[in-house]
Amino acid sequence: MTTPSKGFVIVASRNQNFYVYAVNLIESIKDWYPEAQICLVTEERFIDERADEADQIIFCTDHYRAKLWGMSQSPYDVTMYVDADMDCEHEDIAKVWDELGDRDLVFHELTPERGKYYAIREFKYNNRMEQFTLCGGVCLYNSANPLVREFMEEWFELFNKQHNNMWQPEGFDHEQFHKDLKHFDQTTLWYMTEKMEKYKDLKVGIFHDDIRWNYFTQYAYEGLHSIEGKPPILRHYSGSLQKDKLIV
Amino acid sequence: MARIWLDNAFWETPKKEILNAISEEEVDNRQIRQVHKLDKLNEDGTENELFQEVIEYLGMDKIDASSKKRLEKKQAEAELEKQKKLERERAKKLEQLFEYKLETFEIPEIKESKNRLLKSKLRRSKSIPEVNLYAMMIVKDALEDDNTK
Repeated sequence: MTTPSKGFVIVASRNQNFYVYAVNLIESIKDWYPEAQICLVTEERFIDERADEADQIIFCTDHYRAKLWGMSQSPYDVTMYVDADMDCEHEDIAKVWDELGDRDLVFHELTPERGKYYAIREFKYNNRMEQFTLCGGVCLYNSANPLVREFMEEWFELFNKQHNNMWQPEGFDHEQFHKDLKHFDQTTLWYMTEKMEKYKDLKVGIFHDDIRWNYFTQYAYEGLHSIEGKPPILRHYSGSLQKDKLIV
Repeated sequence: MARIWLDNAFWETPKKEILNAISEEEVDNRQIRQVHKLDKLNEDGTENELFQEVIEYLGMDKIDASSKKRLEKKQAEAELEKQKKLERERAKKLEQLFEYKLETFEIPEIKESKNRLLKSKLRRSKSIPEVNLYAMMIVKDALEDDNTK
């Protein structure tokens, strides 16, 4: 039996800054975990000598959610997707593969106390209030499982349709869907994991001490910390970076 | 129903001259709850009867105990708020530092540098002066490389 390949997927599209963030993230992961295999999914126009740090490069378009497409293209059997605007700060990054266990998809959890840092958490579905609980900032997945591959491909396809008003599953409040929900891949993720029969057997879980794997800088504003008192492994600068402003 | 005083009354001042207390009584079949801020003495220097009523009803020990408990709770809350403020400031500084590092990494000599060790040191820097220090070392390293070519 061959050992499954394991690697990180980082996506940088649409905005040059994301390429700069991605390069920094790749180098920061390798600072702590030199053997890490990293696949950079980016636009050809962004490439410069810094892309040499990536072990694989896949070109994508400037799609708004190239992230989802990139996740479906992983060259590895086990994949850790990480948002580009993050920074690796701890050697435990090398232990990420142990987090998968027998699960297919592992996420960071959107808990009530973290909810204020997300655009939306609660929404109406079949006249009941439902909640997003999975945050896609990081995702560890068994990409060797064909159903997981299909899940990733369909996540991208359905999100596209959802965003372009071509898909709205029954049960959502129409007005809220168009105003607040259709812009988020989290909406698609919720529907796929909670309502689609096809994916009901996928084992979806949460990282142990998950705050360490996707530590939004704003979490510190409220003193939110690791349950084990350990430092963050991946810090997420999503809310603080001026993404549309030139870095230099 | 006679007027009762809730046992969470507390001293507003260390000298025990102002008392904060909550009363409950029934007036015209309606339950009335009222918060009182009571001075020990009236304006004319005579004893405030309501103030004395609370002391007689609850006793000094009970008021002292609830005052102590309240003070400890307030101090703990203030300490927590202070910690939160510090955490927020630290987080803001970290965010600014990260942007500064990204900007520094865009300096051509640093961007093109293959000196992984120094670049890693720069990335792990905890302050702007430390970033500047490693940035200078990387640029110096690049210039020395150029000179040896």
